[in-house]
Amino acid sequence: MTTDAKSRNTDAALRRKRRNLLLTGCTTLGALLLAAIFLMPLGYGAATALKDKDGVSDPNASLLPVSALTFAYEGEELDVYAVPMPDGEVRELALVEPGRESSVFVDPGDAAAGTIDWEGRWRTLEPVTGLAPQWGNFEEAWSTIDFLRLMGWTLMYALTTMLFTVVSSAVVAYGFARFRFPGRGILFGLLMATILLPPAVTLVPKYAVFLQMGWVGTYLPLIVPQLFANAFNVFLLRQYFMTIPRELEEAARIDGAGPIRTFLRVIIPQALPALTAVSLFHFFYAWNDFFEPLLYLAGNRDIVPIGVGLSYFSGVYNSEPHLILAASILALALPVVIFLAAQRVFVRGIVVTGVDK
Amino acid sequence: MRITPPLRGRGFAAARAIAVGGAAALLATACLDGGGASSASDRVEIRWFVGMGAGSDAPTIPAQEAIVEEFNASQDEIELVLEIVDADQAPNILSTQISTGDAPDIVGPMGIRGRSTFPGAWLDLTPHIEENEYDLTDFDPALVDFYRIEEEGQIGLPFAVFPSFMYINLDLFDEAGLPYPPQEYGAPYIDAEGNEKPWDIATMTELAKQLTVDAEGNDATSPDFDAGNIVQFGFGNVFADIRAQSTLFGAGSLVDAEGNAQIPEHWAEAQQWYYDGMWTDHFIPNGPYGDSDMLNAGSWFESGNLGMGYTHLWYATCCMAGFEGTWDTAVAPAYNGETTAKLHADTFSITKDTEHPDEAFEVLTHLIGDAAEELTQTYGGMPARISLQDGYFDRVGDANFEGQDINWDVAVEGMSYVDNPSHEGGMPNFLESEAVLAEYATRFNQEEGLDIPTELASLQTDLQAVFDAAE
Amino acid sequence: MSNFTEAVLAARRKGGRGGRPASPMQRREARWGYAFISPWIIGFILFWAVPIGASLVFSTLDFQLTDPGATTFAGGSNWERALSDPDTWTALAATFRFTVLFLPLSLVVALGLALLLNSKHLKFTGLFRLLFFMPSMIPLVAGILIWQQVLNPQTGWVNRLIGLSGVDATGSDGIRWFDNPVLVLFAFSFIGLWGIGNSMIVNLAGLQGIPTELYEAAAIDGAGWWRRLGSITLPLLSPVMFYNLVIGSVLVLQYFVVPWVLFGASGRPGGASKFLLVHFYQEAFVFGNMGYGAALAWLIFIVVAILTGLLFGTARYWVHYGTERS
Repeated sequence: MTTDAKSRNTDAALRRKRRNLLLTGCTTLGALLLAAIFLMPLGYGAATALKDKDGVSDPNASLLPVSALTFAYEGEELDVYAVPMPDGEVRELALVEPGRESSVFVDPGDAAAGTIDWEGRWRTLEPVTGLAPQWGNFEEAWSTIDFLRLMGWTLMYALTTMLFTVVSSAVVAYGFARFRFPGRGILFGLLMATILLPPAVTLVPKYAVFLQMGWVGTYLPLIVPQLFANAFNVFLLRQYFMTIPRELEEAARIDGAGPIRTFLRVIIPQALPALTAVSLFHFFYAWNDFFEPLLYLAGNRDIVPIGVGLSYFSGVYNSEPHLILAASILALALPVVIFLAAQRVFVRGIVVTGVDK
Repeated sequence: MRITPPLRGRGFAAARAIAVGGAAALLATACLDGGGASSASDRVEIRWFVGMGAGSDAPTIPAQEAIVEEFNASQDEIELVLEIVDADQAPNILSTQISTGDAPDIVGPMGIRGRSTFPGAWLDLTPHIEENEYDLTDFDPALVDFYRIEEEGQIGLPFAVFPSFMYINLDLFDEAGLPYPPQEYGAPYIDAEGNEKPWDIATMTELAKQLTVDAEGNDATSPDFDAGNIVQFGFGNVFADIRAQSTLFGAGSLVDAEGNAQIPEHWAEAQQWYYDGMWTDHFIPNGPYGDSDMLNAGSWFESGNLGMGYTHLWYATCCMAGFEGTWDTAVAPAYNGETTAKLHADTFSITKDTEHPDEAFEVLTHLIGDAAEELTQTYGGMPARISLQDGYFDRVGDANFEGQDINWDVAVEGMSYVDNPSHEGGMPNFLESEAVLAEYATRFNQEEGLDIPTELASLQTDLQAVFDAAE
Repeated sequence: MSNFTEAVLAARRKGGRGGRPASPMQRREARWGYAFISPWIIGFILFWAVPIGASLVFSTLDFQLTDPGATTFAGGSNWERALSDPDTWTALAATFRFTVLFLPLSLVVALGLALLLNSKHLKFTGLFRLLFFMPSMIPLVAGILIWQQVLNPQTGWVNRLIGLSGVDATGSDGIRWFDNPVLVLFAFSFIGLWGIGNSMIVNLAGLQGIPTELYEAAAIDGAGWWRRLGSITLPLLSPVMFYNLVIGSVLVLQYFVVPWVLFGASGRPGGASKFLLVHFYQEAFVFGNMGYGAALAWLIFIVVAILTGLLFGTARYWVHYGTERS
């Protein structure tokens, strides 16, 4: 190879590298921008969770959880404003007595000098503010609804049903995806029908059935049905199983593996990303589940999951947006950790089906 | 090759076949129904359902739990079980329970509205009152009669009353340099110049306009006022539906003596006044303003951005926790020389399907008896028991507004001006009628430029159609 | 219905050989098939058959939830009423309007996000996946509360941001997301897109199942990004996209919680939020007419079933399963 060709080669490589770097930069930046827009409401939620109730309803409220600087004067907390004085100087004064066209202020630095009368409209003044996040909201939300107990029950509920539904749904989905048997079409139609029928219409008879079984007031109506597969999950896993090349199973069968072993050794490893996805969906669904736990656990307030617990902050007449949001953010912590942990399975998914061939 | 047609073919037929079998199975189990849950202990289980009124907010829960514990410890015949349900979902949960034969035994606290939501679901208490020779002399007889419903009997006993009055944000009045409204029924309003004016809707409207301010500090009477940038409102009827709002202009009913739909004349005037107040003069929050955080998404007075808020006594305990500043009471303004202060009253009722009516009655009398003092304070109602009313406001004031001097006499005196007929009274086909009202109210609150007489005429037509369907 | 495509494919595999399977091997396969799906069959009989049957019976009764004792047989009158009720047709129209807008939008966005998150050019993929999925983990009550305030015409961030560009977006003459029958569909769409995490993850899982050597081969052939998308990614992702399409249609046709929390049964603005399920829920649970409600629910079921059936019918033209040999 001549030096000329060599340099041309490295040139091309360099160019490719630069192009890749540019692409990476643009993609990541674009994603960042997109995420910023996408998460803007969440930012609002977080800001609100850090405001005090007064800050939530302040019409001139800043986007951030700031609050006006205050000054204690004669037993009252006064807001501090930037007041332009007649001599052109802008002074930071505390508002003692607001009035429509003239107000009384006091200088926080020199309260002994007495009050200052000021002509003008105080509403047009800029309040002097400082960032004052109300971390206490989290504490209040935590203690008001007995957060740890709620979390414990929610975790129990979410994890058991997740385990039940993923195992049973995978088994059923494999049956529908890979075996031919008479009536399969009708049975699958029936399975889909349980998704298509609005769940609310079967609510009353379902409640009657569980009442007969004596299960109302316990977690049984919420947990036991998950042992018998869930149509949404079956459908998703079936779709996924059907993308797995049949050659893999055939090879296993030639090696003498029966259907169960094929399922465990071939299908499950191949479908790990999909199984993780189903597990995640179910976990988050159960984590936030609200109506059915409320219905079946109404008489047993000690064991309700977090979704029901949150509802105690939103009365008809008295909602506490800052507390609901603080509690929601607290409740988000564990799912986030679980999601991050599940990520590793996704990454492994790439390894299994990609580089590893 | 087998090609199955889509679902409506075979799948549907199969579903139908299974459905028929399933229905038969359901009927069979229904026949075998032994009934409610038999508790492990030999105590009779009495379920107390909370959520049809006050009681499902986080701060009220511990007090209720304490009362249940106390009651269970005090005797060994009855096991009282508390079921607290989010108020939004309570009607659904309760209707599911009732329809599956799993009704709770006691429901409450519950207003007259709860009764109307579940017509026919409540036990007539008359035989139990007679059998136990229950003493009713501690109640105002008019209040006892409040729960005597034609064809259904005595479906509840008085527990708490919530008179209404004006909540006044004193700081906002001071800022505007306006004197406070009167705290005595019949007293005039004395303005800043010392002129006496009758305390009526017209005077209140003027005050409200002066208390409505935009971001630049212009009030609603100023030509520079910017209606798109209001930061403080003058007046609002807090958490009030159409009937509740209109009652400020006098009691009335949408049902006439023959059972037909009507719009009382003074209610039509009220509607016009409210609508102009929202959309033309801007001193009442309209839908978009009223739903915003600035006005606490509905809990307007608590936000500190409302000068005068008209509502009931319960607002002081349910919703004033976030209020910063000083406030006091004032009487309702008169209209055409007459003052009306609408009333809410709560009760506990026993469901008709209860299997243990005697035990349930025992719990009920405990709740409106020995536990009433504690419970009324928790829910913020004035005790219906005359013997408990003494000192009640001192306790409420100490518990919620320490160090503030609030004139509660206004609330008590308001009891002489209550609305009759009640603004929560029954209507034929109640829930559907309410839905028609809600639909009207939505347009009313959200849309600019409506012609109110036309809207009311079509409201009357729609109501009549729903009333007719009841027959 | 499901085996529609498989039947076609199977027939193709077997060179068009039809007829009934009866060999011992096929019987054995059938037995294993039943064994695998048996958990669901048992669950169906235990927890579904009775409620489904009962709801069908309800639709022929005059059944008031609050007064079950007074139930009488009503024959087909509930069904007749369901078809002649003008609210049913309003609801159907509202539901279809929203479906036409939101379904394609959500499918495209979910696919786009998944492609972005699967891109080898993206750094910090783990973080981004979390960020885009996070809103799906927020409890719905809190999510709706947030959006209600973010889109508030007076104080909401969205209108304030639009206001920064000079347009007067706030106030009663501004952009009122919840008071215009068209804008509200966009408001619903925003809220819907916020919860798109699930479809995104489904796509992502599908993308990761695609063997990378296919892309390597295509790259050697000199195929560009769009060609690779069209000839490798989309066909191999089609079963997963089919799932998203079917589940997406079912969920959007049964759209309920968000409009219910925001507007109740009012249909505000201008009937745009009166979806089929809102109509059903109002009749069945607010008014307590379980009989009429059940008829409505079954009507909704039929509509959704027909549409899903059609989707399954089209699957043979565009859904490629791994069972096919290339």
